[in-house]
Amino acid sequence: MVPQTESVMPWELAHAGVEAAAASTGVSVYWSAPSREDDVEAQVALVDRIIESRHYQSLVLAPDQALALISPVRRALDHGIATVVIGSPLPLPACNRLSYIVNDDDEGGRLAAERVARILHGHGTVAVLGINPDITGIMMRARSFERVLSQIAPDIHIVEKRMGSFNVSHEQQVAEEVLRANPSLDAIVALMWTTIDGSLSALDNTRPKRLVHVIGFDIAELPPFSEQQSLDSIVQADTRSMGYDAVELLHARTLGKPVPAMVRIRPTLITRENVDTSEVHQMLSQDWKSRSREWTLEP
Amino acid sequence: MTIPHFVGRRTLAAFLICLLAGITIWGIRAYRHSSGQHLPYHDSFAKGKADEWKALGGTWEISNGVMRNDSDELGAKLLTGSPYWHNYLIEADVSLLGVDGDAGLVIRSSHEEEGVDSYNGYYAGIRTKDNSLVLGRAEGAQQGWVRNGWLEATKQSLMLSKIRPLEWFHLKLLAYGCQIAASVTTASQPTPTVLTIKDANCLLSGRFGLRSYSSGGAWRNVVVRAATREDLTEMLQNSGTEEKQSLQNAPIEDPAFTVPSPRLEQQRTSTNVQSVGSLRLASFAHPVRATIRGVVILTSPLLFVQDSTGGAYVPWPKAPPLKVGDEVEVTGNVSPGDFSSTIEQATVHVLWQRTPMPPISVTASQASTGKFDATFIEVRGRLAAKERDPGDALTLDLDEGPQSFRAILSSTRGDQLFEGLRLGSILQLRGICVVDPKFTQNHTPFVLLLRSNEDLQILAGPPWWNTGHIVLLVVLTLLLGLLVNLVYQRIEHWRFNAVLQERERLAQEMHDTLAQSFAGVGFQLQAIRSGMPAAMTDLHRQLDLANTLVRRSHEEARRSITTLRPEWLKSEDVLCALETSARHMVAGGVVQVVTEREGDQRTIPLRIADALFRIGQEAVANAVRHSSPNVLKLRIQYEKNLASLEIQDNGSGFIPGQNVAGFGIRGMRKRAQDISAKLTIESQPGKGTRVVVAAPLPPRITFTSWPRLWWTFIVEHGINARFSKRTNSYSYRG
Repeated sequence: MVPQTESVMPWELAHAGVEAAAASTGVSVYWSAPSREDDVEAQVALVDRIIESRHYQSLVLAPDQALALISPVRRALDHGIATVVIGSPLPLPACNRLSYIVNDDDEGGRLAAERVARILHGHGTVAVLGINPDITGIMMRARSFERVLSQIAPDIHIVEKRMGSFNVSHEQQVAEEVLRANPSLDAIVALMWTTIDGSLSALDNTRPKRLVHVIGFDIAELPPFSEQQSLDSIVQADTRSMGYDAVELLHARTLGKPVPAMVRIRPTLITRENVDTSEVHQMLSQDWKSRSREWTLEP
Repeated sequence: MTIPHFVGRRTLAAFLICLLAGITIWGIRAYRHSSGQHLPYHDSFAKGKADEWKALGGTWEISNGVMRNDSDELGAKLLTGSPYWHNYLIEADVSLLGVDGDAGLVIRSSHEEEGVDSYNGYYAGIRTKDNSLVLGRAEGAQQGWVRNGWLEATKQSLMLSKIRPLEWFHLKLLAYGCQIAASVTTASQPTPTVLTIKDANCLLSGRFGLRSYSSGGAWRNVVVRAATREDLTEMLQNSGTEEKQSLQNAPIEDPAFTVPSPRLEQQRTSTNVQSVGSLRLASFAHPVRATIRGVVILTSPLLFVQDSTGGAYVPWPKAPPLKVGDEVEVTGNVSPGDFSSTIEQATVHVLWQRTPMPPISVTASQASTGKFDATFIEVRGRLAAKERDPGDALTLDLDEGPQSFRAILSSTRGDQLFEGLRLGSILQLRGICVVDPKFTQNHTPFVLLLRSNEDLQILAGPPWWNTGHIVLLVVLTLLLGLLVNLVYQRIEHWRFNAVLQERERLAQEMHDTLAQSFAGVGFQLQAIRSGMPAAMTDLHRQLDLANTLVRRSHEEARRSITTLRPEWLKSEDVLCALETSARHMVAGGVVQVVTEREGDQRTIPLRIADALFRIGQEAVANAVRHSSPNVLKLRIQYEKNLASLEIQDNGSGFIPGQNVAGFGIRGMRKRAQDISAKLTIESQPGKGTRVVVAAPLPPRITFTSWPRLWWTFIVEHGINARFSKRTNSYSYRG
């Protein structure tokens, strides 16, 4: 299992899903990831190491980059390693040994657009920050958001679009520029977790006179609704299910059962209203680590 | 004819061979240097072939039977022909692709390099700046410390025609002796405009070529033929206007120092000009019209425009003829992509010319991120596969580190290039990086669209140590070793035959001289004794003693002759030969000779058989002379790779270690060592003597066994080479 990175909630949740599925199917899992989502070469090297080791039957990959992972995944398939791509798709078509379990980013964009339309009552201005073509899913959610918003709320205008990166300071700087350039901005749609953090920090720093709503995607930690009044909602991918389903799918393939080529898992819109529901709690639960060890506490 | 006695036949033959070789070399050289070789020449542009041409700069491609250079590079050249061509005439249809510059023909060119005037030769071209035909000489190649560049000899305005892009002009350029003539005609001006110069210090020979300066150009119907004085006269007579000058007196004008100032063809006043990179943030929901400015980086098969922020693809634009390097303003509907944008329904205006964009040097890993989509890049890779599709496009699959990519060249000059590319070579490529699945077909992260053959450079050939070469080397080594072994065996055989012949000669000599003399001396002694009175007993006794000595010496001589003569070789079996020899030695006595053979009899190499025979013969002789046996047992045993000969007698024996000089044991040891045999001598007083010699036999070589045998041979010889001074496994250990 090679996720985009470690130590951020979406991929910790994916790890939880993988471990849960591994426990139920008896599969052994090697887990490793680059230290940053934009360290593409490290992820390519990890995949190549897995291929060259010849110890692994299958690969679960959450790609950091849509194009750069084409060659490594092709090599893995050529070496007979069944592969499931989770999170964001690659341009490679699904085939006998390649399946996709990805986030439904079209649905995510639609959820965000409907949320913006609702909280702005059909009028206002929005900035879309964190556009990152490296991750196909981010581009899909950006396109979907814009398309749906223009259909359901034509009077809400996108006044700024900015490219994003996995650098929180940079995202904060961009958000501050956008806020200064657009004092009447009503909402920020943050397409990446770094953009959410950067935007919230920028709002803390600039303290605009009016409330600027932040609608984000795939937050790195539990949503701080109580601390951040500006944070309106999060469209969260169900990476836990992706990890679980990926292992199940590979196990089924090993047993010779038919497996789907493409599975899209709907994201969930997390708001102040539903953040404490059992459904959201279960989705964001990270208690698998403490349960997976039998700790002995010394007096 | 008589041959002088001091000139041998061999010397004469060597002389004739040298003479023939010299004449052949001279003939080949004369043929290659002949002015008319390969003339006349007709281009094959109509067939899409131009492998014989070499480009120096520019983007030379064939399109619809026309050779085009879509680049506005200054002084781009395409050359072919023989460096020995002397008097010849080129003619071609020439067209300019841009409004500012010139295009034409080069004659008697040599020392060409990439650069504006980096060649030595004559050039005639049509120029837009002053609407004229120009003729001059380039001295661009470094000659000592002199580098004059372009020397324009003369020019002539075209009175009735306006030189405009995309119009065809028929250009002729002739070199005869030190006279150079150029003429141009058009459809509207059939009477040629002619220029002639006489260059006192002229270039005498060289290749020909096509050249453009800034404007790009197109050429078709290129014909070259040998020129005569009549051709020169005809060109001058047909001219409506004629300009003659001497190059030495011509004013020198060097366009390299008077570069025409770039100018806006059409002033654009768009105020909403965006950067190319910003187009990616255009609305995904609504069509957006935008204007960008950038430099053309590719015109065919698609138009790509790039600025400092990125590149964009402009499909089917409404545009004037464009060249690589034109700075353009593009207005159209933006379709933002993930990594670059497309400007559809675009209108393109040329703003400036001659602003070529240098490539960005990146690694394949960097290009694989899509950040250089639609951008002119330079990248290295190792050639993994190559393919040529029916449309003549070359497709190269390359690897660099963990990334793979593909390069596509829509080349019509690719035959030679394709053949010259060897898998495993390290290539440096320049081209437009494209990540669109239409090109990549999702096989590779990106595809490189090469503009011409010159965008591909071979940095290093494939490594020698590939599997095929290693296998070949091993096979060759084995064959070479086998050959050496065969030669060695054959030489040994020859040497041994020579030894045998020498022995035969010695035996014959001894028989004819020594043995005959002994016989004669014995006869004389017998005669003396018979003639002496019986009373002289002392003398009788001495004569008897002398007679006995002579008889013994005669017997020894006969035995030596028998030993030396190789008649036994006629017999194939050592044991039979030895038995014959032994019976001969004991003839007349009471010794019984018994023979015994064990194992499958096989042919023993001559050298080993001879040694076994000699050792056996010596052992038999020792037994007969010193041991007084009743029974002499001869036994041979054949094993897989060993032949053991045993000679045993039941005679008096001897004490091992005591003085046995004269028993010939040293000779036996020497012979055993020579064939790597083991010699064992066992004896006890009163219990006879047993001599055993065990000689290794070479293995039987079959089709399947020879590699293994050869490996064993190498290993054993290697070990023997290392330890030859320390031990010999088959040496005498008696």
